[in-house]
Amino acid sequence: MIRVAAVGDIHLGPDVAGQYRERLTGLADHADVLLVAGDLTRHGTLEEGRIVADELRDAPVPVIAVLGNHDYHSEAENEITEMLGEAGVTVLHSGGTMIDCGGVRLGVAGCKGFGGGFAGSSGDEFGEREMKAFIRHTRELSDGLYESLAALDDQGADLKVALTHYSPVKDTLTGEPLEIYPFLGSYLLAEAIDRAGADLAVHGHAHMGSEKGVTPNGVRVRNVALPVIKQAYAVYGLEKRDSSRPPAEAGRSAR
Amino acid sequence: MTRAGEAPHYLVERIRDRVAEQAHELGIHVEVCGDVVYLRGGVVSEERRREVEEAARAAAGGCTIRNEVSVIPAAVPDGEERLT
Ligand SMILES: [Fe+2]
Ligand SMILES: [Fe+2]
Repeated sequence: MIRVAAVGDIHLGPDVAGQYRERLTGLADHADVLLVAGDLTRHGTLEEGRIVADELRDAPVPVIAVLGNHDYHSEAENEITEMLGEAGVTVLHSGGTMIDCGGVRLGVAGCKGFGGGFAGSSGDEFGEREMKAFIRHTRELSDGLYESLAALDDQGADLKVALTHYSPVKDTLTGEPLEIYPFLGSYLLAEAIDRAGADLAVHGHAHMGSEKGVTPNGVRVRNVALPVIKQAYAVYGLEKRDSSRPPAEAGRSAR
Repeated sequence: MTRAGEAPHYLVERIRDRVAEQAHELGIHVEVCGDVVYLRGGVVSEERRREVEEAARAAAGGCTIRNEVSVIPAAVPDGEERLT
């Protein structure tokens, strides 16, 4: 079994510098990898980016992150990505990465994701330029997520995790006002995850939401926003799939 | 109408905007009952809890603020969830 630690929305700033790092001290005893589901900063400034990088630098286990909307606020997302990379954090804007956890190949595909809403009441790529751009952004990121999850199979992943900031499903938004669901996630992300198959989907962003949900095809979804899990990180144990079964079968057969 | 003379409907949004802009907290739930504004949600430090309250007060036009925002301890977890 491999153990995946995950947290989102740590929203670090000068006022809490050094605190999060302390909590990562014993991380290697609990987990093989740490996934960070975006909103690492409060305003996405260079100063905050530097604090996050210092906090996660040379962590006891590999750290894989996506950025969140707050990390884009000061339009310094590229510099923040660079600082995190230099600190040893793998930042996924799209694409995936593979880590070896004691002989088990864990593939992680990630992107920020975006909003739009959920099946039956989702926004469409129709009408004003702004509306089309909104939904197109979600669609492009979702398409990229599908591609990178599918590519992980070709690379021989034993287990696959989808990492986003925005939510792929409504379940994990329970507790948030219904009116803001379209700003919290999109079913397009779930569709990508279901089509490509995954063993777990992890997201943040919905601070008032709830931890547990599932995609229409049965992929477990976990909202790991810090205010939801109320601990430094949550840990999920994943069992390697039966090798006679193709990695993405669960997703693909039920399409 | 609240004491501030604004329909609670619009006041909620003005306070949420101010909390987002000034305190940069987007996940705070704001509820207005008569002259009282309730703030709920979770933040990571006592300082941020105060900042949320200050931002809300600045937009609340004299309404009483009940700050029910909690500070999340974010301790190291003591277990794991096995997904099988
Ligand atoms: Fe957040
Ligand atoms: Fe967010």
